[in-house]
Amino acid sequence: MLTFLIISLLLAVAPLVVRTERATNIIAGLFFTVNVAAIGLLLWYGYIDRQLLYIFRADGLAVLFHLLMTLVLGFSLLHSSSYLKADGVSTNSYKAYYTLLMLLSVAITCVYYSDNVAMTWVFLEATTICSAGIIYHREFRQSLEATWKYIFVCSTGIAMAYLGILLLSTVAQHGSLDYGSLADVIAEGNPLYLKVAFLLIIVGYSCKMEIFPFYTVGIDANYAAPAPASAFISTALVNAGFLSIMRIYRLYASTGEVFEWARHLLILIGILSLAVGAMFLRRTNNYKRFLSYSTVENMGIVAIGMGIGGAALWAAVFHVVCHTFVKNSMFFSVGIIRHIYDSYSINRIGNYFNINRVGAIGFYVGTLVLLAFPPSPLFISEVMIFGEIIAVGSWWLLAAMLILMCVVIYAIWSRTLRLNYHSNQDELHLSGVNRRLSYSAAVLLLLAIVLGVWQPEVLCDVIDQIVNIG
Amino acid sequence: MILSLIILYILTLLYMSIAERFRSQTTILAIQGILLFGIAIARMHEFHPVEMAFIIIETFIFKAIVIPAILMRVIHKTKIDRIDASSSQFGSLAMSIAALVASCTITYYMADSRTDMIFFGVALYALLTGLILIVMRKRIFAHLVGFLIIENGVFLFSMAIGVELPILINLAIMLDILISILILGMFLRRMDNDMHTDATDALTSIKD
Repeated sequence: MLTFLIISLLLAVAPLVVRTERATNIIAGLFFTVNVAAIGLLLWYGYIDRQLLYIFRADGLAVLFHLLMTLVLGFSLLHSSSYLKADGVSTNSYKAYYTLLMLLSVAITCVYYSDNVAMTWVFLEATTICSAGIIYHREFRQSLEATWKYIFVCSTGIAMAYLGILLLSTVAQHGSLDYGSLADVIAEGNPLYLKVAFLLIIVGYSCKMEIFPFYTVGIDANYAAPAPASAFISTALVNAGFLSIMRIYRLYASTGEVFEWARHLLILIGILSLAVGAMFLRRTNNYKRFLSYSTVENMGIVAIGMGIGGAALWAAVFHVVCHTFVKNSMFFSVGIIRHIYDSYSINRIGNYFNINRVGAIGFYVGTLVLLAFPPSPLFISEVMIFGEIIAVGSWWLLAAMLILMCVVIYAIWSRTLRLNYHSNQDELHLSGVNRRLSYSAAVLLLLAIVLGVWQPEVLCDVIDQIVNIG
Repeated sequence: MILSLIILYILTLLYMSIAERFRSQTTILAIQGILLFGIAIARMHEFHPVEMAFIIIETFIFKAIVIPAILMRVIHKTKIDRIDASSSQFGSLAMSIAALVASCTITYYMADSRTDMIFFGVALYALLTGLILIVMRKRIFAHLVGFLIIENGVFLFSMAIGVELPILINLAIMLDILISILILGMFLRRMDNDMHTDATDALTSIKD
């Protein structure tokens, strides 16, 4: 693990000492290869469920999400090159962007593997610092505003999460805050402290998972950052937030009445996130913010799945995995749209079907998959969550979810039709039509659809292990 | 000794609510850093060189010297000094006292036998004071001060519940916070340069 971290960090900062964009691309390629090799070695030598370097542990949850992150990182690095060249950024800016993106991925990897509550917090705060540079990369007025809000709200939110960790640590023996040690003694903790700790941690980490209440900073960050970076932030970083909350959730599994309370809290946060997503999907006039609100909506569904538990918990993890592919692909598609129109404005751009047919079909398919129409994998996860809600007899929740999801379907579908058939009011930059990028975005969608019709046994086994909290 | 320092700390929080100049608020933050250093030293049961060194770095050097110096530099570069004229001193003081009463009440109901009630109450009061500053003040610099008061509250909170995290983790936490402050200070200066403003009213260009 130490070797992997040192090599990754060296490669991440290496673009700062090279001269050309080509050399930066080679370094990025090497960085991606190192990540692939690390996962390969972990699986090959069977290092699963082993402690690494005192504060890390390679469990199924960490390896699965590292694998997903590496995949989306590869695509993000590829799309970033075209995006930055089309934007005409300087070589220094190009190198700084790649450095920050790779540093962010190192911080996220550390969050995934961290086996200690406090270190998870430290690495999540590190992701804030790395993300800030990427959000500010385009250096316009709104990006400055978004960056300030992102750092400030995330830091304040994370400080609240730290308070929760301190309260949680009252149960720790000899100050040990690793998840395993805490799980052994958490049932003996003061129930009031445990409840407040859970509340503070969830609220604090909500800025990373993009759920209610601190979802706003993620929306602004995705809006201001370059599209390929937004794709990475709204999948890999959101997954880091999810994973951090999931680890706390698993920790609480043995706390009886407190766990029940925590699950109710997750349902409340989930339904509020879904409501916010549905409401703002109708209101927003920017395609990137539009996709970000869709992330809020999907993470709301995930939180509800976690709150319901049982088969819905399995579905929640599966939903996050599949959402990673779909949302990544959609952000890349929006990045390609920006190449052509030089705008993300929903009201002004249109006629996309006639301008870039490959991209338009990709966007159509992506929308259908995002809306969970079969064979979308999200259809499976959402049906499983609905099934479990019916099984526990929570009819009000089912009704609220169905109403809100109808609003979501209307909002997303009407915007997609508008993009493809509404008359265009903006100037076109047809040189920006790059079908290879559209095809590469479609690969991720294809992967998602494959998961919709066939779930590999190994993936099901890993998710089974993750949700085995009894 | 500890009680005197705690009372002084409460007074700094009360004074923070009525301070009209950012220089005064920064000075209060430096004083809070020194008080936290005194409290942490007074609470040490036996002498550990590593723990002692860490306390000196975290409180005296970091909270009492480095951060106030960064803030003073920001004030100097951006030439901001007075807090917004719209906030009344009496209103701020009343809110601060209400926060103190709320902290005492919450502490009474929450603190258990393993928790130091005085530290718990003061930490809570510091957190509420920071949040009030962030919510009530319009200038961005005041938000930064509010965030730092919250961080000091978190430090007191860790003492209230007697948590002793490993030095490595404490160091990582401290570095994270220091870098956040540096970056926030840097962006505040950039906002002043590019947007010619330091008021939150100007941060509304991103909306749906």
